Amino acid sequence: MSGSAVFWITQLLNALQYSMLLFLLSIGLTVIFGLLHFVNLAHGALYAMGAYIGISLALRTGSYWVALVLAPVAVTLIGVVLYLLLIRRLRHAGPLSQVLVTFGLIFVFLDVIRILWGDIALGMDPPAALRGMTSIFGVRYPTYRLFIIGMGILIMVVLLVTLARSQIGAMIRAGVENDQMAACLGINVERLFFAVFCLGCALAGLAGVVAVPVLSATPGMGTDILIPALIVVVIGGLGSLHGAILGSFIVGFMATIGAVLLPGINSVLIFAALAAILVFRPQGLIPARG
Amino acid sequence: MFRQTPIRTGAGIALIAGLAIHASRGGYFDREIVIEIAILAMLAISLDIVAGFGRMISLCHGAIFGLAAYGYGTAIVKFGLPPSTGLVIGIALAIAFGALVGAICAGTVGIFYIMATLAFGQIAYVLIFESRWLGGDDGMTGVRRMDLSLIGLNMRDSLTFALVCLAVLVLVYIAAAVVLRSSFGRTLSGIHANEARMRAVGINTRMHKTAAFAFSAALAGIAGVLKAQHTMFVSPELLFWTLSGEVLIIVILGGIGTLIGPAIGATLLVLLKHEVSHYTVYWHVVVGAVLILAVLAGGRGLFGEFEYRLARWRARRRARRGTGGAADA
Amino acid sequence: MQSIHGKVLAAVAAVTIVGGVGAAGAQTKVGVLLPYSGVFAALGQEIDDGFVFALEEAGRLDEFTLIREDTEVRPPEGLAKARKLVLQDEVDLIMGIVSSGVLAALRDFVTDSEVPLLVANAGEDSSTGENCSPYVIRVSFSNSQVNRPMGQWLYDQGYRRVYTLAPDYAAGQQMIATFRAGFEAAGGEIAGSEFTPFGRTQDYGPYITNARAAEPDAVFVFYAGSEAIAFVRQYDSFGMKEDIPLFGSGFLTSPLYVDAQGEAAIGVVASLHYVPTIDTPENNAFVEAFRARFDRTPSEYAVQGYDAGQVLMRALDAGADDRASLAREMPRVSYTGPRGPLEIDPLTNNIIQNIYVYDTVSDGAGGLTQEVLDVIERVQDEPMGCTLGQ
Repeated sequence: MSGSAVFWITQLLNALQYSMLLFLLSIGLTVIFGLLHFVNLAHGALYAMGAYIGISLALRTGSYWVALVLAPVAVTLIGVVLYLLLIRRLRHAGPLSQVLVTFGLIFVFLDVIRILWGDIALGMDPPAALRGMTSIFGVRYPTYRLFIIGMGILIMVVLLVTLARSQIGAMIRAGVENDQMAACLGINVERLFFAVFCLGCALAGLAGVVAVPVLSATPGMGTDILIPALIVVVIGGLGSLHGAILGSFIVGFMATIGAVLLPGINSVLIFAALAAILVFRPQGLIPARG
Repeated sequence: MFRQTPIRTGAGIALIAGLAIHASRGGYFDREIVIEIAILAMLAISLDIVAGFGRMISLCHGAIFGLAAYGYGTAIVKFGLPPSTGLVIGIALAIAFGALVGAICAGTVGIFYIMATLAFGQIAYVLIFESRWLGGDDGMTGVRRMDLSLIGLNMRDSLTFALVCLAVLVLVYIAAAVVLRSSFGRTLSGIHANEARMRAVGINTRMHKTAAFAFSAALAGIAGVLKAQHTMFVSPELLFWTLSGEVLIIVILGGIGTLIGPAIGATLLVLLKHEVSHYTVYWHVVVGAVLILAVLAGGRGLFGEFEYRLARWRARRRARRGTGGAADA
Repeated sequence: MQSIHGKVLAAVAAVTIVGGVGAAGAQTKVGVLLPYSGVFAALGQEIDDGFVFALEEAGRLDEFTLIREDTEVRPPEGLAKARKLVLQDEVDLIMGIVSSGVLAALRDFVTDSEVPLLVANAGEDSSTGENCSPYVIRVSFSNSQVNRPMGQWLYDQGYRRVYTLAPDYAAGQQMIATFRAGFEAAGGEIAGSEFTPFGRTQDYGPYITNARAAEPDAVFVFYAGSEAIAFVRQYDSFGMKEDIPLFGSGFLTSPLYVDAQGEAAIGVVASLHYVPTIDTPENNAFVEAFRARFDRTPSEYAVQGYDAGQVLMRALDAGADDRASLAREMPRVSYTGPRGPLEIDPLTNNIIQNIYVYDTVSDGAGGLTQEVLDVIERVQDEPMGCTLGQ
């Protein structure tokens, strides 16, 4: 295979891998907004908690796989506490209060991480089975990155099928479309909201622990990733699962291909795309409500 | 709608007097704190005009502020222009950027408005951060202060500079109050209460919102130009979105839609940050907790809560008198 | 938890020391200006520890009043705190400064107010180049100094085509420009060069793929802190290390965070002004004493703080007793410390020191250590426009 084909396949895999990380992170953000109308800026902080808790668990137990399972559970527990203490009360408080309280949470989590884990960034090895490289489409690519792609696709498929085919999926769709009507139809909307919120938190935690072996963990990682994640959900359509998928691909591919072809102005391009969407099509490319 | 009540006037006078006394009697660092408070208060007042009276929650006021500071600095350092010209350029740049963002975003509402302003602010930040001509992340040194020796002011003296900042703060407040009390301000408050209705009665709400945003940007620009003169140095993090977030915190802590509340909020936040950082390097957690509590307590902010309770107490007293009078008759 | 404990102790120490002013006779007031919060907080603490350790070891801690201020990573904040230290606390000198931006912001102020600034990290070239000042004395390094010898060194090792990567900000640009100049002067060719958006790049995959496509003999990079950790790990995960060796400015695999890079750091060759494994009596004694006191190995940042303390004490011993005499005496100090012989260049006020080319290796006990491959002695910066010597 020619050198340039290898190069482009590798770059496409890079773009796909980054898209999947963005997807795992933004899906919770968008679903929580779609159903609860809640803007959770602290979502990035939950992602960071997932990363750090994952590192500690992997160190304690010696197993990445234990961390992969338990870190999202731990993050969900944190989410439950936040839900009961803060988020439930702010459900109907309007976007300003929500943005401010979750902005405050970003500050709190930033220092909690510094106090518990220190200022120096931490790294984590991928599990032994996923180290090294694997040949795919005629190129050698890091196995762990392929695992991220696989994990992203798996979760994407599970969510799509659940949403389209299952009863709970139908309830969620009804809730996004019109929550009052859904409540009239006998759906326990509050319980549904709580379940979806927990799922969103678990996915943020999962994204954190999955990202660490590649990106490493810093106290500011939650704030760093927040802006790209918000761009993904806004471009796709706030509250829309399909939109988050599309948005992740757009941002992931723009970031990667931009780094190859247009280094320098590539981050401006992404913001410009965001601004254009917000002005001309604020409901996003695939709006949540039909 | 905005009313300049005696309570607000009193609070404003007390605040300015307190800061002026603190500056003149305190040491060098107390003056620095007063300057920081005055500049942040201007920025918070400018944000309150759009957020508290026009339902435009902007997350790009940090960028407007930073652009004005860069406009002033660039004019002096790169073009060798006198500081007075730099002042005009800085504020003009702020107005131009504010008018542009205001016009583009005027059609969006709620969370979309917040996100759109955030996006434009970040574009400005990234462009300046990556401009090697403007010094990139290292920023630009050699920014001089204005020479006001003609009117007998030595701007290099920290007390003089602090008092000038307080005087400008008073002017900014008066300008904001005058505009908000004008018919334009009343229309803006109408849009704040119900934009659809204002459109229905034939008002060009887009134009009004844009004009309000540009006016707010002008005041933020004044703050930015003073900031550049204060630090005599400009750097890109003046434009970063977290500064916009902090200013929003200040507006909320002080009392959104009260105009004087944000000035009080600026005083509180600067003092809080300063005091807490004496005891711990983890001041973020304290500021975050205070913010969360402030929103949970009703979101009226300190001054807003005070006015609210006062109004409720007066209403109750009036009601009691009213019923008492009825019994007499 | 270790670090909080250290901070609490440091805070308590600061309070007690400040409380003791006036009790002792001729106290030297030192404004310690470091990032204690923000992304460089770990570096600030390391320098602080090294500085206090030097004073402590000499048994002279009570001669000094330390007034600590947090710069975060924000130049305006640093400048405001510097003004406070000078105008309100009336310090005799300022020590510290981690980020280049803060140094650039302070340069005019300390020069105008004639307060000596002892720079214990920030490597920004122009502060000891075209914008040099008799009041800015650097005991750490300059960005150019650390990288200048590497161009020739790589060429001598047989590398002819090198690809470079660094974050897109002043320090990254300066480090790469110096390396490039040295390598091209030696006869090498730059196969390609890219700057990654600073603070907004988490995934270096696309850039690493670009580097591979350019088919260089070697890759030379500058990254520091969390970016260095992510970059070294990702470079290794792409199987690049086996095919194209990775070289860098030494901050790439600093002992401070090399453990977070793990095995990915093994074999990476970098140049730096200090590594803990320099085998001299001075350094062995220093490392042992530092370990006994802090229970960890000193990094280059700790040594910079330590040498700042040494230079200050030696200047005082030479008779300095106020701002002017400190600014005069500190550049005259020369001594042999943990990093070898040190002196301050009268032409620029930048330090003249050895640069060590080292390789990160396994220590055989599951950890990592540094193996010194080569020493380039007495590396001195060009005046780069500085007119102090004229």
